[in-house]
Amino acid sequence: MAESLKDKVAVIGIGCTKFGELHDKSLSELMAEAALAAYEDAGIEPERVEAAWLGTFSPGFGGGKASVTLADALRLYGKPITRVENYCATGTDAFRNACLAVAAGVYEVVLVVGAEKLRDRPVRGLQREGTHPYLEAGSTPPGLFALAANRYFHRFGGDRHTLAKVAVKNHHNGALNPKAHFRMEVTEEQVLAAPLVAYPFGLYDCCPTTDGAAAVIICRADRARQFREDPVYVKGIGLAVETGWPFFDPTFEYIGFPATVAAAAEAYRMAGIRNPAREISVAEVHDCFTWTEIANYEDLGFCKKGEGRYFIEEGRSALAGDLPVNPSGGLKSFGHPIGASGVRMLTEIVLQLRGQAGARQVKNAELGLVHNLGGPGSVACVVVLGR
Amino acid sequence: MIGITRHAVYLPRHRIEREKIAAAHGGKPVLEGERTAIGFDEDALTLALEAVQGLDLPACGGIYFASTTAPYLERMNAALLATACDLPEEIAVADFAHSLRAGTVALMAALDRAAVGGQEPILVVAADVREASPESPEEQWFGDGAAAVAVGREHVVAAAKAWASVSDDFLDFVRRDKDERITSFASRFTVEGYCRIVGRAIARVLEKSGLRPSEIARVILPPLDPKMATRVASELGFRAEQVQETFLDRVGMLGCAMPLFLLSAALEQARPGDRILLVGYGSGADAVLFEVTPLIEGYVVRDPIAEQLRRGLRFPSYERFRKAREYFRHHEEGPVLSNVFYEKEEARTIRLRGTECGECGLRQFPPTRICQRCHSMTGLREVSLGRQGEVFTYTVDWLAASPMPPTVLAVVDIEGGGRLYVQVTDVEPSEVRIGMRVRLTLRRLGAGGGLYHYYWKCRPEGGEDG
Repeated sequence: MAESLKDKVAVIGIGCTKFGELHDKSLSELMAEAALAAYEDAGIEPERVEAAWLGTFSPGFGGGKASVTLADALRLYGKPITRVENYCATGTDAFRNACLAVAAGVYEVVLVVGAEKLRDRPVRGLQREGTHPYLEAGSTPPGLFALAANRYFHRFGGDRHTLAKVAVKNHHNGALNPKAHFRMEVTEEQVLAAPLVAYPFGLYDCCPTTDGAAAVIICRADRARQFREDPVYVKGIGLAVETGWPFFDPTFEYIGFPATVAAAAEAYRMAGIRNPAREISVAEVHDCFTWTEIANYEDLGFCKKGEGRYFIEEGRSALAGDLPVNPSGGLKSFGHPIGASGVRMLTEIVLQLRGQAGARQVKNAELGLVHNLGGPGSVACVVVLGR
Repeated sequence: MIGITRHAVYLPRHRIEREKIAAAHGGKPVLEGERTAIGFDEDALTLALEAVQGLDLPACGGIYFASTTAPYLERMNAALLATACDLPEEIAVADFAHSLRAGTVALMAALDRAAVGGQEPILVVAADVREASPESPEEQWFGDGAAAVAVGREHVVAAAKAWASVSDDFLDFVRRDKDERITSFASRFTVEGYCRIVGRAIARVLEKSGLRPSEIARVILPPLDPKMATRVASELGFRAEQVQETFLDRVGMLGCAMPLFLLSAALEQARPGDRILLVGYGSGADAVLFEVTPLIEGYVVRDPIAEQLRRGLRFPSYERFRKAREYFRHHEEGPVLSNVFYEKEEARTIRLRGTECGECGLRQFPPTRICQRCHSMTGLREVSLGRQGEVFTYTVDWLAASPMPPTVLAVVDIEGGGRLYVQVTDVEPSEVRIGMRVRLTLRRLGAGGGLYHYYWKCRPEGGEDG
C-alpha cells in the first residue's frame, strides 16, 4: 500500500490578503502581499525558499497563466516554480504538489501561493473557456450544482429553507473575520427573498466573485522547530479526479460527489482517521453554493448520506457546534478567488490550530480539515492538518 | 398504388394574439385569434425536422425539403435534415424553394419518383417562417409551421390518383435576393388571378380523372388573403362544406407548408373513399387528387393538430415576438468553428451518436473508447441515441447568457439508454419537474463564422404521452 505523508511536512508560515473587490490591486501585488506576510510569519528571508508552486485557475489581465507571474511578482528568479490548475481544487493541489516535493526530501523550504483576480474580468462569474461550444451550452457554475441540489431534494427532502441556514451560518462567521469579503449577518428571510440565480439557489446561496491571494511556507517536519515553536503538521492529503462530465454519466446519482469521498478516504488513511465526525475538530469545506456544504458533510463522513440537512439544522456545524464548519465564513462569506481559496482555507486552519483565530476561534482545535471541490464536482482535494 | 403513407405537422409552441400585434401599431387586427410564431432558437429547418420526426419512420429513401425561408441559401438544407435524422448517405435529398407551391412541387416530385419505382418512402417536408414588414397585414395573418408526408407504395392511406400543374409568372408575393421581407401585391386583383390560375390546375386534374367538383369530399385551398376562402371556393365551383377549414384564426398562413398542413388536417378527419383535392399556389398552381384508403381507419396520429393548438404558449408582448424573429439577424457572437472541427463533431452533435458497451450494455454520450461503468475496452459500438427521454434533474438558470432568460437546463435520461445534458426549450419554467417526459429537438444554439450552430435541446413531450 501507498505511503503516508503524515508528519513529514510542516506549515511554518502563512499569509493572506484581505479578500474582496480589490479594484485597486493587481494580481502580482496580491501575490507579493500574501507571500511577504508568509515570509514574515515564518521568520525567514526570501532567499530560504528553494522552490515555489503557484495555484491560479484563470489567466487574467496581466498574467496568471504561467510560473513567470509569481517569479516576477516576488523577484524569485533562478528557482523551480510550477503553476498548477485543477479547477476549484487548484490551491490545495498546488499545496499537495509542494508537500510531495518536500516529503521526497528534494527541498527543505517551499512556498505555495494561490491567487486570483476575478473582478478584473469583463464578465460576471466564471467564463467557460476551454469547454465544448455545444455540449455544455448554457452551463454556469451555480446551474451545475443546482442540478445536484434539485435531485438531492427529490431523493432526501429539504428545500430552500435548509439551504438558507448554511448562508446564515457562514455570513455570521464571516462577520467575525476582518479579512472576509462580506462582513454582514443575514437572516433566513433575507436569503429566501433574494433574487434567484439558478433554482434552487438565490443570490445568498452563491459564493461571490472575489479577488485575493494567500500563501503558505512549508518545510521538512524535522526542521520545523528551527523556524517556530508552534508548527502545524500535514497529517494526510488526498486528491481524486472523477468525470468532468457527470451530466452525461448514466450512473451518476447527483446526490453528492464521489471525488470528495475518494479524496477524503485517502487523506483519512494517511492521517489514521477512523471516525472523522469525532476526530476532526474544525473544517473549512468547499461551500461554493449552500447545498455543496450540505453534500460535503455527507461525503466527508461527518454524517450519513441524506442526513446533511440535519447537520446544519441542528447547529452541529455552527461555530459552537460539535464540528464547526467554515469558521472563516467559507467561500460564501470570505469570498472565492478560485486559485487562492484552497491556500486561504489552509491559512484559516493553521490559525485555528495555533489558537490565533480571534473572535471565530474554535475551542480545543487539534485536527483540522481543508476541502476543495472543483468543476461540476469532478475534482476534490482534502488536506488534514494537526498540531 | 402510390400515395401518402404517413403525415405529421409541427406548429411551434409560441403564439401571439393578433390584438397584441395590432395594439403595438395602434391599429385593429385584420383577423381574429392568434398566430403561431417561432421562438428565438427556431427556423424553417428546425420546424421541418420536428415534422419529419413526427412521421416516426426509422428509415426512408430520401428527404425533399420545401421552404421559401430555408436558413441556408448555399448548402443543402435537406442534407442537414438527413444528417440530423442520422440517415445513411445513399438517400436522395433535394431542396425546393422560391414559391408558395414549393411544398406541392416537392410532393409531386416525390410522386413522380415513386411512380417510376424509385427508392421509397420519400419524406416530403415543407416549412416556412416568412417575414413581413411590421404593421403590414401579413405580419398578423401569417403563421410559422411545418408539415411532412411520407410518399411511398406500402401502407398507403391516401392514394394519389392524378396530379397536374400550370405555370404562371403572376405577381402576388415576391422577395428578391437582397430583401429580408416579402413585398405584397395582395388586392382583389390577385384574388382574381388566384381563382383563374388555380381553376386551370383543378380543371386539368378533374379532366385527367374524369370527376366533377361535386364528387370531391374535401378541397384544400391555401389562402392568398385572410378572408377569401369561401368566395374563392364558390368561384371554383365548390360548396362551402367541401372546403377544408384553414385554421387562420389559430395558426395563420404557413407559406409553402400550408398545403401539406391542411392535407394533414384533412387526413385526420378523412374516411375511406373520400376524395381529397390538394391545391398548391404560387407562380402557377399544382393540384393533386387523393383517394383515401381503408388503412386510414387504423392510422394513429401521434400528435394531432388539436393537441398542438392546445399547448400554445403566448408571448407576453409584441416586443418578445419580434425579438424571437430577429435575434439571429443581429447576433453572430458564437464561436468560429473550423470545418475540420465540425466534421469530427457531426456524429455526436448532429447525428447524436453515442456508444453502447458490448460487455455491460451501458449507452453513453459522447462516444467513448472505454466504457464508463465497466471499463471494457472491447466490443464498444457506435449507436444512434433515441430522441425521447425523461428529466432526471434540472435547474432554471438566470445567470446564463440568453436572449430570453431564464435558461432551463436538464439532465435527461434517453429512452433506450444514454444520458444528455441539454437546454429545455418551449417551456414555462414552472412546468419543469423531475420525471417530465421530453422530446429532443434540434435548435439554433448560436451563430458565428458563417454558420448557424445547431444542437439538440429538449422540449416537453406533446400528444397523448404528454
